[in-house]
Amino acid sequence: MFKLALTFSLSLLLAVSAQSLVANEGRVCAVDASGKTLCLAAPAKRIATLSPGATELTFAAGAGAKVVAGVNHSDYPPAARKLPLVGNHTRIDLEALLALKPDLVVTWLTGNPPAQMEMLQALGLPMFAIEPRTFEDVSNTIEQLSLLTATQRQGFAEAGRFRAGIAELTARYRNAEPVPVFYQVWETPLMTINNEHLIGKVVQLCGGVNVFADMPRRVPRISPEVVLEADPHVILTGSVEGAVDDQLDHWKNYPGMTSVAKNNLFYVPASPISRPTPRLLEASASICHKLDIARER
Amino acid sequence: MIRALLCLSVMTLLALVLSLATGSVNIALTEIWDVIQGESNALHRTLLWDLRLPRTLAAFATGGLLALAGALMQVLLRNPLADPYVLGLSGGAAVGALLAMLTGMGALLISSSAFAGAMLATVLVFGLAHGTGSWTASRLLLTGVVVAAGWGAVITLILVLTPSYKLPGMLYWLMGDVSYARTPLPALVVLVVATLVTLPLARKLNVLTRGPMQAAALGVSVRPLEWSIYLLASLLTATAVTTAGSIGFVGLIVPHMLRLVLGNDQRIILPACALAGGTLLVLADTLARTMIAPEQLPVGVITALLGVPTFLYLLHRSR
Repeated sequence: MFKLALTFSLSLLLAVSAQSLVANEGRVCAVDASGKTLCLAAPAKRIATLSPGATELTFAAGAGAKVVAGVNHSDYPPAARKLPLVGNHTRIDLEALLALKPDLVVTWLTGNPPAQMEMLQALGLPMFAIEPRTFEDVSNTIEQLSLLTATQRQGFAEAGRFRAGIAELTARYRNAEPVPVFYQVWETPLMTINNEHLIGKVVQLCGGVNVFADMPRRVPRISPEVVLEADPHVILTGSVEGAVDDQLDHWKNYPGMTSVAKNNLFYVPASPISRPTPRLLEASASICHKLDIARER
Repeated sequence: MIRALLCLSVMTLLALVLSLATGSVNIALTEIWDVIQGESNALHRTLLWDLRLPRTLAAFATGGLLALAGALMQVLLRNPLADPYVLGLSGGAAVGALLAMLTGMGALLISSSAFAGAMLATVLVFGLAHGTGSWTASRLLLTGVVVAAGWGAVITLILVLTPSYKLPGMLYWLMGDVSYARTPLPALVVLVVATLVTLPLARKLNVLTRGPMQAAALGVSVRPLEWSIYLLASLLTATAVTTAGSIGFVGLIVPHMLRLVLGNDQRIILPACALAGGTLLVLADTLARTMIAPEQLPVGVITALLGVPTFLYLLHRSR
């Protein structure tokens, strides 16, 4: 009896170690935004992305063909529009998500509801959280994602392209004439961004001086008085696809403002500038171009 | 009693001056005098005339309208918990405003849509409570409360279906905020006219507070009086909500505060509500603009922070 048990446990031990040996061959690991290392037994083949940015970054990592789920507004690249949706990034349809049998879930660290994320964690789904807050974070996230999907070649190339593009803009505008800039996130209530926000970093990159650079909160709500007092030379805002660009019209009531007098009220496409993805490069180029126009007026 | 009104008027004036003199940008009193005399730099002129003055007047008008409407509702429903929103008017306005925001309309259309929603809510409750002929204040109250719950569900539904980038505007509208006010003129006109209209009614309202039977016995035609109060209070609330979103608390607490201090004579209470409600909101908005300037707080937070301790103190003292 004892012999039998011993043989049984031995064979079990052998089987387990054999399996882990096999697994080790395809094993992939990456570090996510919370600092956690996630290891998968094999590169992910069915990826659920729980924010529009996560969808876009996973495609950028070269794993677009392996994405099986997006959320509302997962609209870039165009192929992402055909993905099955699992709700809104603030309210995930867990049943729909589980039904798609993902082997990797890419989450948004501060954007997805923590309670739902804990539930997914408890169900044993491999989860990788993203939260790019700097230009380097964007490249780094793409690289880490490509490690998990074994698409390093495309992922690292795209990350490198973004890194080089940002470096190129940085070099070009390092000595550009500083321009005081106000970025309007929202009209009523009036909201802006500080320099910890990626948009603030873009403005800085282009030689703009964000007049609210040092506000304590990333997206503060401010009074129009301080904008008039700061008298920015340029006012920027995001232009939403399909909507009329009138969010800056209210400033025209104050013809004494430099930005209004010089007609420096500019709209930049909202989706690329507000998502920490490679398209931020094109959005940055667009903002830099607007500031160049302002410098010449 | 006239002295009480005079006293309130002085407080109102002081609050208006304080509101004009303070903001995220510091303007010294001497500089304000320069602006009034027309010999000042352009920035100060813009700040004072284009930003602070319209906003201050809008805050005053909105506060006055809400307090007056609250006082009328409390008399009408003979219920101390009644406020301008209890019959679902703010809910209707919110649904109108939120739908306009959802479809990406401009500020003017948002206001119009809010007003239309408020009026729809009024007519709906009027029709439902009126329907079968016999009605009482409690029937009106129940109808209103249930309709309000319905609006609440629709609001939640709209919020859930709205793309997240449109949410901050909607949430701030629901909290109520004077920064939405575009022009204070309509609200001011409605406030002044309504205060004058209610004055000759005040005596009848005093009788009505003793109950409809007694009022009828004393020769007041109760039904027409009650309906006109309802419509008037609805119009006031709709104007207030259209101006600055659904600002809470002012309409409930100000009439009660004044009754604790001045007694329950509508001839004094109604004009006093217009003054005190306006003053409270002007002060609250001044604090909201300046407490963590240049960042801004929603004014509803401040009305509650100012009003709750004041009210509790008065209640405690009156025992």
